[in-house]
Amino acid sequence: MSIDRGIKWRNPLFVWGGKRDVEELATIPFRSHQEIWGGTRRSATKLNAVGRLRYYYKWPGHGEAMWNRLRYWPTRRRVLRLRGEYNPKTLRAEKTIVDKRPIWWMLGLLALAIAPLFTPADLQNTLLTAGATFGIYAAISLCWMLIMGTAGVFSLATYAVVGTAAFVTALLAVKFALPWWLLPPIGALVGLVFGGIIALPATRLDGFYYALLTLGLNELCRVYFVTSKEFGSANGGLYGATTYIPEDWSQLGQLLLAYYACFGLMLLALVLYRFVNGRRLGRILRMAPEKREAFAEATGVNFRQARVWVFLISSAALGFIGGFYTSNFGGVAFSIFNFDTVLLGLAMLVIGGVGRAEGAVVGTLIVVFFDQVLNTWGPARFMIIGLIMLLVVLYLRNGLFGIKAQFRAWRDKKKSERRSTRAEKGGEMLPEEATETEDKSVIYQRRHDKMTRDHLKTLVSPEIIEEHRHSLNGQHSEALERLLIYFRTRPQVEKYAIMAVERFEGYRIVALSGHRGVAPRVVEDRIYSTPDEACHGVFMRRVQDLLES
Amino acid sequence: MDIWFIVSNTILLACIYGTLAIGISITWSSLGLLNLAYGFIFAFAGYGAWLFAQHVSTSGPAVLAAGILAGALGGVIICAVGFIPIHDKPNFTIRGLIATLAINLIGTQFLLWWFGPRSKSLPEIFGNWSLSLPGMVFTADKVGNVVTSVLILAIVLRWMQSSRRGLEIRAMMMNPHAASIVGIGVRRTSFYVMGITGGLAGLAAVLLSQTYYISPFGGLMPMIKGVSIALCGGLGSVRGAVIAAIVLGLNEALTGISIGGRYVLITQFVVIIVILLLRPRGIAGLLDKAREA
Repeated sequence: MSIDRGIKWRNPLFVWGGKRDVEELATIPFRSHQEIWGGTRRSATKLNAVGRLRYYYKWPGHGEAMWNRLRYWPTRRRVLRLRGEYNPKTLRAEKTIVDKRPIWWMLGLLALAIAPLFTPADLQNTLLTAGATFGIYAAISLCWMLIMGTAGVFSLATYAVVGTAAFVTALLAVKFALPWWLLPPIGALVGLVFGGIIALPATRLDGFYYALLTLGLNELCRVYFVTSKEFGSANGGLYGATTYIPEDWSQLGQLLLAYYACFGLMLLALVLYRFVNGRRLGRILRMAPEKREAFAEATGVNFRQARVWVFLISSAALGFIGGFYTSNFGGVAFSIFNFDTVLLGLAMLVIGGVGRAEGAVVGTLIVVFFDQVLNTWGPARFMIIGLIMLLVVLYLRNGLFGIKAQFRAWRDKKKSERRSTRAEKGGEMLPEEATETEDKSVIYQRRHDKMTRDHLKTLVSPEIIEEHRHSLNGQHSEALERLLIYFRTRPQVEKYAIMAVERFEGYRIVALSGHRGVAPRVVEDRIYSTPDEACHGVFMRRVQDLLES
Repeated sequence: MDIWFIVSNTILLACIYGTLAIGISITWSSLGLLNLAYGFIFAFAGYGAWLFAQHVSTSGPAVLAAGILAGALGGVIICAVGFIPIHDKPNFTIRGLIATLAINLIGTQFLLWWFGPRSKSLPEIFGNWSLSLPGMVFTADKVGNVVTSVLILAIVLRWMQSSRRGLEIRAMMMNPHAASIVGIGVRRTSFYVMGITGGLAGLAAVLLSQTYYISPFGGLMPMIKGVSIALCGGLGSVRGAVIAAIVLGLNEALTGISIGGRYVLITQFVVIIVILLLRPRGIAGLLDKAREA
C-alpha cells in the first residue's frame, strides 16, 4: 500500500559508494509511539465527582481559647467533644466539633419544651395528650432500649412489667387511698420483684430463646388480670387512683402539667440511659457483644452479672414508669397488655434503631404520632406503622439512625468497585499478581514493555522486511532501526543464534538456553546456505515472535 | 377427678399444639427464621376456610383442605415478604424476627379491617356423632381432631423422610451452609418449608375452630403455645416438640381441672422456665447441637 503512496527512505550513506547500498527504498509512513501511550493511558470508565471527605466547620481558636473546654461540674467530663489543631497548610489555630450529637439533643429537647406554645388551638387537646403519651412511651422505650441494646437481652416482657406495676399500684391506691407521689416508688419495687423473677431464665438463655420465652408473658398477665376479681374485670381497666393533676385547674393547665410531667419523666429516663449505657455497665457489655461472649468471659469480664444488673435496673425503672402511668391517668386499662402494644413498642425501637437513645425517642415520636394524632384512621394507622417497621427492617441495617453508617458503607463499597473497574489498563499483570509482587517497578516495566511492543507491531510491514533482506547491516530506515534495537536488547533466554553446520555451506538457527552449560536448542530443520540468509531467518523468527506476543 | 378426661384432653391439646410447634421448629432449624407471624397465618387460614365454607362448599374435608391451602398460601406470602429479601443480609436472625412481627401486625390489622371484629364460626367438619365406651364419651370433634392431626403430621414427616424435597429440607436443617454448597437452593427450599409449615398452621386453625371461633387476633394464643412448646422441646427437634407437647398438654389439662383455667399460662410458664433452667436448649436440644443463628 505504502509502496503505492511512494514513500521512500533515502540512504544517506549512498554517496560513499558502498557495494550493496541503494539510494532509495520503499518504506512506511512515520507512526508516533505517543499514540499507543495515549491510548493506553485513556480510560473508558466514567469518573464521577463524588464527595468523599467529611466536612467539619472549623471554628477559630486562639491561644487559651484553643484549649478551653466546657465541663460538667465537678467531673472532668466535657460537654462537647472538641479537637484543637493547627491547620497544616495555613498554620491557623482552629477548633473542630467532633461529635455534634449533644447540640442536636439540646435543640430537640428545647423544641419539645416549647412545643406547647405553638400548638394550634383546635388541636391543642389532641396534641398535648399525645405529647404526654409520648413522654411516657419514650421513657418506656428508653428503658427497653437498655435491656435490648445495652444488655442484649431480647425481652418482649417490657409492657408486662409496666402494666403489672401500674395495676398493682392502682389497686393499692384505690384500696388504701395512697397519695400520688407514693405510686412511682411502689411501682419501682413491684417492677424490681417482677424483673427479678423473669431475669432468672435470662442468666442461661440467649437472646432469641429469651424472646420466645417472654412472648407469652404479656398474654399471661392479661389473662390473669382480666379474669381476677380484684382488678375490676368488668370495666376494661382499673381506675380511681389519685393523680397529681389538681381537679380545680383549667383544662389547658391540666394538659400542660401532664405534658411537662411526662417530659420530665422522659428526661429522667434519658439520664438513666446515659448513666447505665455510658458508664461501667455499658462498657462491660460492649465488651461482650453477641457471639463474642466466650472471648469476653475468657478475658475475665463477667458479662452475665452485668446483664442481670442492667435488667434489674431497667425493670425497676419500668415499674417506676408504671406507677407514674397510674398517677398520670388515674388508673390503667387492660389494653396495655395487648400484643399490639408490644408490637408498637417494638416498632418504636426498631424504627429509630436499636442501641441508641435518639433512636428510641425519635421512633417513639413517629409511632405515637400515627397512633395518637391520626387516631380517626382506625386499623389503617397500625397497618402504616407496621409497614414502616417492615420497610425499616427489610432495608435498613439499624433503623433510621443507622442510615448514615449504612450509606457510608455502601459508598465505600461502590468506590472500591469503581476503583477495580478503572484498573483495566496495564493488563500485563493480574491484579492479584500485582499486589503480591514485591518489586512494584516490575509492574511498570511490563506495562512499558507492552506499550513498546504494541507500537513495534504497527511497524512490521512487507517494505521493512524487504529492506532488511536487502541490507542486513549499515544504515536502516527509522522503523527498521527501532525494530532491530528492540530485538537486540532482548534477554539472553530464548535468544536466537546461528550455528554453522558446515562452514560456508550450511547454517541453521538455534535458540540459546540462557543458562551456562545447557546446550542451545534447534528450532527448525531448515538449513541456510549463507550467513546472511540465516541472519534474515533469525529476523523473521523474531518478527513472528513479536507479532504473536 | 376423671383420669380419662385428663388423658383425652391431654392427647387432644398435645396433637394441636404439637402441629403448631413442629411447624415453628422446622422453620427455625431449616431457615434460621423465627416465624412470629404464625398467629397471622393461623387467622388467615381460618378466614380462608370460612370464606370457602361461605361461598363454595360446607363439606368437612373440603373446608379442611381449603384451610390447609390458605395456610400454605399465608406461609408463602411470609416467605416472599419477610424471608427472601433479608435472608442473606447481616443480622438476619433478629431482623427476620422483627420482620415477621411486623407482618403479624399488618396482617392481623388488615383482617380486622376487612372482616370486622366479629368472630366467625366454621361448620362442623367431623359431624355431630359421639362414641360411647364404658366410662367415657368421645365426641366427634375430639376424635376427628386427634385422628386428622396425627394423620397429617405422619404424612408430612413421612414425606420429609422419603422424598427428594424432604431430603433437601432435612439437609438444610442439619447444616444450611453445607446444603447450599451441594446445590440445595436456599430460596426455593424456603418456599417449600414455609408452604408446609403454613399448611400445618392452617390445619391447626381449622381443627381449633371446632372449639373456638375465628377472629383476627385468635391466632395469638395458639402461636404463643406453639412457640413455647417448640422452645421447650428444643428448637429444631420433632421428637422434642412431641414430648414437650405432651408435657404441656398434660399440664394444661391438670391445671384446668385442679386450680382453674386462668392459671394455665402461669403454670405453663413456670414449667417452661424449670425445663429451660435445667436444659437451656430444650428437652431434646443439646447445647452443642443447637443451630448457630
